[in-house]
Amino acid sequence: MLFNSLEFVIFLPLVFFLYWFITNRHLKLQNLLIVLASYTFYGWWDWRFLSLILFSTVIDFTIGNLLRTESKDVVRKIYLWISIVVNLGFLGFFKYYNFFIESFQDAFTFIGKPIEINSLNIILPVGISFYTFQTLSYTIDVYKRKLEPTKDIIAFSAFVSFFPQLVAGPIERATNLLPQFYSPRKFDYENAVNGMRQILWGLFKKIVIADNCAKYANIIFNNSDDYSGSTLLMGALFFTFQIYGDFSGYSDIAIGTSRLFGFNLMQNFAFPYFSRDMAEFWRRWHISLSTWFRDYLYIPLGGSRGGTKMKVRNTFIIFIVSGFWHGANWTFIIWGFLNALYFLPLLLLKRNRVNTDIVAEGRLFPNIKEIFQMAVTFLLAVLAWIFFRANSMDQAFQYIGDIFSLELFSIPEVFSLEVFLLVLLFTIIEWFGRTKQFAIENLDKLNKYLRWSFYMGLIILMFVFTGEEQEFIYFQF
Amino acid sequence: MKQFIRHILLFVVLGLIVGELIARVFVLNSEVPQREIDDFGIQRYKPLQNGDYKGRTHSWTINKLGWPGELPNSYDNLITVIGDSFIENFMNPSECHQSSYLKELNKEYNYIEAARSGVSLIEAMEITKQFDSLNPKLHLIYINDSDLEESIVQLARHNDITQLDLDKNSIVYGKMKSPGSKKILYNWKFIYYLYRRFPVSFNTNEISPEEKIDVNSKSIYFRKLLNFIKDNYEINDKIFVFRPDTNPETIELTRNMGFEVVDLKVESDKSWSFEYDHHWTCYGHREAAKQVNTVIAERK
Repeated sequence: MLFNSLEFVIFLPLVFFLYWFITNRHLKLQNLLIVLASYTFYGWWDWRFLSLILFSTVIDFTIGNLLRTESKDVVRKIYLWISIVVNLGFLGFFKYYNFFIESFQDAFTFIGKPIEINSLNIILPVGISFYTFQTLSYTIDVYKRKLEPTKDIIAFSAFVSFFPQLVAGPIERATNLLPQFYSPRKFDYENAVNGMRQILWGLFKKIVIADNCAKYANIIFNNSDDYSGSTLLMGALFFTFQIYGDFSGYSDIAIGTSRLFGFNLMQNFAFPYFSRDMAEFWRRWHISLSTWFRDYLYIPLGGSRGGTKMKVRNTFIIFIVSGFWHGANWTFIIWGFLNALYFLPLLLLKRNRVNTDIVAEGRLFPNIKEIFQMAVTFLLAVLAWIFFRANSMDQAFQYIGDIFSLELFSIPEVFSLEVFLLVLLFTIIEWFGRTKQFAIENLDKLNKYLRWSFYMGLIILMFVFTGEEQEFIYFQF
Repeated sequence: MKQFIRHILLFVVLGLIVGELIARVFVLNSEVPQREIDDFGIQRYKPLQNGDYKGRTHSWTINKLGWPGELPNSYDNLITVIGDSFIENFMNPSECHQSSYLKELNKEYNYIEAARSGVSLIEAMEITKQFDSLNPKLHLIYINDSDLEESIVQLARHNDITQLDLDKNSIVYGKMKSPGSKKILYNWKFIYYLYRRFPVSFNTNEISPEEKIDVNSKSIYFRKLLNFIKDNYEINDKIFVFRPDTNPETIELTRNMGFEVVDLKVESDKSWSFEYDHHWTCYGHREAAKQVNTVIAERK
């Protein structure tokens, strides 16, 4: 079920009603409702893959409880590895099997010994990368004794399958989300209102910004051989806003929906295009995944504690694995590699934590230096997104090569003033809301009529400038 | 909670009002003409309606015979153009209709269109009967595989489509599908917009009845359908114009069974269809008309 679908418009109020008016007196019943609602939400797309979620839930719940009673380190480690192998095994099979088969075939062909292995017609279960990482966080934290394993299978099932963030995150940590299922929930008016605002803003990002930008990005990327350098740059810019509107829009709707049910999820995007360097960008983009990799991969590998060699190695590992997480394609791996190259100089020069505050905090506009820093960071991100969007490595290199030609200074053949103005308006609103969790949080200071007019204005824009419906990009990851 | 529910309801009501205003002012949906079933069991539009297409880019008219488009000045030397939504062609202005392009290419004939979305091949054959009194020279029937499939009850029963029951060898006329709900939906513009923009879907992953039938079985059914047509209608004054997306085997079968066919081909890289709609653009209609006109000219 998509957030921007009519089914969800019916589903959400129904679950909300049952949650707060029918099951509100019994915590277990409330959690059970969340589980059933989440399975319906997921099963709407393909009920067969519910079995994977159920299997992961049972395995990790069981292993969590075995870890509770087991004191021998060797046995505990075996339990941990069973969980890792099972979860990553599913992920590896569904997402990466064909990629590895094809890569092996290419490698053997390259050395002159072609081999024939059949690839499989595998459907990628929606959200598998997200819920796999979420359940892994539970087992790892229990293993490290950072978290007490739960005995409540319903609460645990609800944690694994919580429908707002099941298919595209934020990837929640067990330490943050699971305890929220233990405590009785009380309806909080302010939190719910902010949740609705966040949903509205997320829908605006998706329907108006992402879907409109997608139209032009698709035209340009799908016919990239035919266009001039300036048009290709325009295509990369359209995609840059498409992916931000799409993914952060989804996260906003997920977080907003969770607030309606009394849950607080972590912030997933913190205005990344206002970053002053790539280190800051990565602290602000897909925060739940970046911090997951930091805590469960980078730090266990030694993090930045070792010498230069270790720092370089770990940086490349984390960025390349992050790229690979997005999809079984060399374009994603190169995207990760490129970001490692951007990040590494900052790390080695110990400048990766220079910009930890909010840009131009307390001021209306940034200064010249900040504008320059933001522009450079933004352009580096745009360049990397070309790899992310391209269908193949050849297309990506060709695309970049064609951008840096004399035609870069010609008038773009594909341009939409309408979309440009919408993106400009969006950027201005984001700029003025950059100190908050999401751009239009806490609008209460505004006059009531002005505030409601603003909401209606967003709705008008959503209906007048609605783009052709596109599936959320991150569903494929 | 009460305050929250109150505000949400107010928000929904305001949203519906604003949405309805926006939908009407900016014509977010195409206006949809009302249908009726005539004395012969054929669904057509109520005569003399008009409305705007989405975004008010152009308007459409239903003529006094209950078909979209304008009537010719004269019924002499008449050619009928019959088909489904491709010929109904609400998405293009009137100058981009097949009849306009055919007239432009060959002024010797007058053209009249009779089209409605969902028309099956067997219904198209029934429609041709209604023009007998005008003594047309030729009937052009625009179809593809799905129009043959939808004609056959045994492949899949569609209550709203006129079909042929091959077991009983009789025609089963289509019924109006939820006319009351449709009337409400088309008049409540905002809700209709939401319905169109966010279609409800549920993937059951079950194979549809059509998919269960293999290609060979389909061609047996197609053969029976075409035999029925040969036995019950005059076929010498009819040309089946197959759209470019038609399975070549279907075209070959039709041709081998003695029907005159036009096999439309997209001859350049330029697409005939809209980017987000499989229907033809003005360019597609012009190209189709050129190829059809060549056959009309050769026939003479």
